[in-house]
Amino acid sequence: MGDTILTMKDIDKSFPGVHALDHVSFEVKKGEVHALMGENGAGKSTLMKVLTGIYTKDSGTITYEGKEVEFHNTRDAQDAGIVIVHQELNMLGHLTVAQNIFIGREFKKGIFIDDKRMNEEAAKLFEKLHIDIDPMETMSNLTVGKQQMCEIAKAISHKAKVIVFDEPSAALTEAEIEELFKIIKDLRKQQLGIVYISHRMDEIKVITDRVTVMRDGSYVGTLVTADCTKDDIINMMVGRVIYEDPKTESTVPKDAPVVLKVDHLNAGRMVQDVSFELRKGEILGFSGLMGAGRTETARAIFGADPKTSGDIYVNGRKVEINSPQDAVKCGIGYLSEDRKRFGIVVQKSVAENSTMAALENFTKGLFINKKKEKNTAQGYVDSLATKTPSTEQLVVNLSGGNQQKIVIAKWLVRNCDILIFDEPTRGIDVGAKNEIYKLMNRLAEEGKSIIMISSEMTEILRMSDRIVVMCEGKKTGEVDISEASQETIMNLATREI
Amino acid sequence: MKQNPIVKKIGINRIVLCCVLVLMYVIFSIFGKNFVGMQRIMSALNYAYFLGFLSLGVTFVIATGGIDFSIGPVMFCSALVSGYCLTHYGVPMVLSLIISILVGLLFGVFNGYFVAYWTVPPFIISMASMNIAKGLASVFTKTQSVSWPQSADANGWYRNFIKVGNFPVGLVIFLVFAVLCSILLNQTKAGRYILSLGSNKEAVRLSGVNVKKWEMLAYIICGTLVGIAAIFYVAAYTTVQPGYGDQYNNEAIAGCVMGGTSMAGGLASISGTVIGVFIIALLQEGILALGFTKDYQLIITGIIVIVAVYADVVTRRRKK
Repeated sequence: MGDTILTMKDIDKSFPGVHALDHVSFEVKKGEVHALMGENGAGKSTLMKVLTGIYTKDSGTITYEGKEVEFHNTRDAQDAGIVIVHQELNMLGHLTVAQNIFIGREFKKGIFIDDKRMNEEAAKLFEKLHIDIDPMETMSNLTVGKQQMCEIAKAISHKAKVIVFDEPSAALTEAEIEELFKIIKDLRKQQLGIVYISHRMDEIKVITDRVTVMRDGSYVGTLVTADCTKDDIINMMVGRVIYEDPKTESTVPKDAPVVLKVDHLNAGRMVQDVSFELRKGEILGFSGLMGAGRTETARAIFGADPKTSGDIYVNGRKVEINSPQDAVKCGIGYLSEDRKRFGIVVQKSVAENSTMAALENFTKGLFINKKKEKNTAQGYVDSLATKTPSTEQLVVNLSGGNQQKIVIAKWLVRNCDILIFDEPTRGIDVGAKNEIYKLMNRLAEEGKSIIMISSEMTEILRMSDRIVVMCEGKKTGEVDISEASQETIMNLATREI
Repeated sequence: MKQNPIVKKIGINRIVLCCVLVLMYVIFSIFGKNFVGMQRIMSALNYAYFLGFLSLGVTFVIATGGIDFSIGPVMFCSALVSGYCLTHYGVPMVLSLIISILVGLLFGVFNGYFVAYWTVPPFIISMASMNIAKGLASVFTKTQSVSWPQSADANGWYRNFIKVGNFPVGLVIFLVFAVLCSILLNQTKAGRYILSLGSNKEAVRLSGVNVKKWEMLAYIICGTLVGIAAIFYVAAYTTVQPGYGDQYNNEAIAGCVMGGTSMAGGLASISGTVIGVFIIALLQEGILALGFTKDYQLIITGIIVIVAVYADVVTRRRKK
């Protein structure tokens, strides 16, 4: 390890309603692989976005190669030598590998693009990195793993001195991960500074030199990887228990009626032969890694995406669900992980959003009874403790937690008894998280049945009565909360059938 | 009642528009030739009626985040087909007027169906139906212009929709329709869903709402109003020629956007549209009074569209 190449000090960043980064510090040395860890929403990605100028920091300093810097966009950062290899790949599928690598700075011959030279340069690059890819191949023909190699090659070609890997292994196979690690070790030898963001504990031990842990937007600590155990890191990530008490056993009687039965559901590659039952008053956790097919399963049940086969029974009766309309009629409500896109109409008011799914209960003849609408909306604002100045307030002005409550209100107004919460606390503040948990427990006690999809292990273990685990579009197991542990779930989540 | 900031803001927008309208009138009165007097105003109103109905119609479509470039030619198609029925097939006047509205409505169904159920981009489908409307009208009339009856003719009563003596009946009818449209947009389920899906269609769909139905309805409302616009066009000018009508697209959309309806959808103001239409109509008269040809009016309308849309983009960006 060499000198420190990058130091971020006291970085602070707030979004409306969320304190995303609370005086966070982080540093990378030359020839070091530095892991950045934390649960979802801990602020890792935000920190990296501040670094590369996607977000502007509120306060704090960034020192790079001994000078204080401030990048205004990724291009600035790239030119200085700081590059992110994103989780979602930013590749243009219809172009060749070489064209992708040199996009925005193509070699030219007069006014024409010099494809030949680009191919040669790309080939040289791959040779240096010991990567076996044909520069003339069309990008979309490559596997995700190979595409990622191209991203890395692209980063190197920018004369990068610091490379940030944002969950690079999430979509890779074992063999591809090994190849990735070889490249990373190679880069380390060349004295690059590497930031490695990942959830996978085993990888951290294998590949990184130091670990910095973040939690709820704050810096927790930095450890030398060789000197610490897995448990040390987990303890730092989870921290003090500030949430609802975790469940140790299910409170749902064994003979509680089955309200939703999904039988051999198939929908594309991501939902293969999924079956499960949901009981009255139960919170059924859906666990799995990213891309396990949980959201796709929920959307297929809800009729948001077409299903290819399989039956759905609500309260013992077989139902045909071909659109969200049908699902809502059966009393199923879906709360998307992406509220802004799929949950709320941000430019409309709290009242208008609250009655969105049940407007027919608020019409007199042709007209909307706005007084009744307002009263109902206000009732749910009070009972869910939503923080809003009035029901006339546009939802765009509310914080994430309060927006989530508006979506919950929407389904309660519609009187839905089966609620599918997809990542219910994503992008929500710690305090608000706890409120959402309390609310979900209250709803379950009142007899609502809840499916909760979550990528946060702690959330799954805290809230669920029973846990369904998925991997690569298939259900790999089902565990009762009394028998569940991080290890059992992780094992199921990574088991390929 | 306490007004929230957004309502206040839209209010200010409308006040500014009214000031522009008055200012324009003053400028034209001072610099224009023979601008002062009832005749110019009546002439501007004649223009405002049919344009107003087009603009009201397209407001619903733009509220969904769509666009309709077929309104002008469809209006001409309505006027030509119904007029030809009247003059060549001896169809009674009342029935002809109904045919006019029906033709507009059918084009609305056509556009709406393809946009909502086949998810064809509104731009494409309305361009296509613009051509269809023009072609259909030409085929139907054998490429001849159609002359509707004069006031003195037996069937001339339809011209009373515009004025009786010097009383502007058309203004009353237009304003009544504007009020109805405003109620439809702001007080009914249809209006609520049209505006909401313009803002975030997927979120509305996932609330279990039949978004296709409501999106299509917006186009049908638009088409119907376009059919009515045709009646007011012939009541004002009696003669229609096949192959035209495109220019009114821009003017109607300009009136709508100027009035505060967002091209991005989700935000629409009927009262704004009404004032916007009056501005465009007055401009049309004023330009002539200032001694310019009609070509300049095209240029100015074009510029107005750009300014209005830019203003909309800037406001939205600031909100973000």
